[in-house]
Amino acid sequence: MIQLPGTRRLLATWLTLMALTLVAMLSARLDQDSWEPLPLVSALLVLMVTGFKAQRLLMVYLNLRAATPAWKGTFVGLVILTLTLIGGGYLAPRLVG
Amino acid sequence: MTAHPPQYPAQALPNPGWGPLSALPGNPLMWVLILSEMLVFTAFFALYAWQRAADVAGFNAAQQALDPLVGGLNTLVLLSSGLCVALAVEAISRDRRRRARQWLAASMALGVLFCVVKVVEYADKFAAGVTPDSHLFFGFYYGLTAFHFAHVLFGLGLLALVTWRTSTDNVETAAAFWHMVDLIWILLYPLIYLLR
Repeated sequence: MIQLPGTRRLLATWLTLMALTLVAMLSARLDQDSWEPLPLVSALLVLMVTGFKAQRLLMVYLNLRAATPAWKGTFVGLVILTLTLIGGGYLAPRLVG
Repeated sequence: MTAHPPQYPAQALPNPGWGPLSALPGNPLMWVLILSEMLVFTAFFALYAWQRAADVAGFNAAQQALDPLVGGLNTLVLLSSGLCVALAVEAISRDRRRRARQWLAASMALGVLFCVVKVVEYADKFAAGVTPDSHLFFGFYYGLTAFHFAHVLFGLGLLALVTWRTSTDNVETAAAFWHMVDLIWILLYPLIYLLR
């Protein structure tokens, strides 16, 4: 029998995910009227928050914590690869000039 | 030599007899689907990032037509729907069928709310003359979000089906699909709405 996350862990994860979504929105400066490209720090924070949210969703909502380290690594690795590609495409024009 | 790591003896695996997939919780085939969907979306996201890098100013100008708060609202709605479906799995695993159905109904209601917000957003864009042909950014915007939207609709159908035929296996399988839809949106939202 698989050990499910339990109601308390699910609620804690949901609160974390909601809070991190708000952090991402604030990092993207949605509270400001002016529309300008994000500072690099803000963009990196958005990506890191997104990665952590995806990891929490995989481990708790999808209960991947009950799987072997190899499977955990595979899925988390794919999320990291995705965010690296997104971040790379975002950063490349800024770094090149 | 054993086929599994020592800490995971074969009899303790969630799905014995499924080879490498036997160590995954829930329906192994759903994990195959989740992995393949993640790879497909990763490819699209990489293509978007590549195209944006070639026309940053154009993409940034087009992106201003979107409302990131609406996208954020939908993120909160979908995450809450994911919680409800996870609680449905908890309930059915304790044989609380009625409670599981209530959580499934709540998750479907939130899923429908996501769809309503998305349709209003699409209608708003079309009314403003913003179509997939307006700019390459909008081609990606409509393409990626509509592809995701199709997954939401399919997921809602699955949730309705398992609300009718409620069993632990059925609810777990539909929940895994719904969480995958959630996961894709978590990655899609910052890419399309936030990063500029």
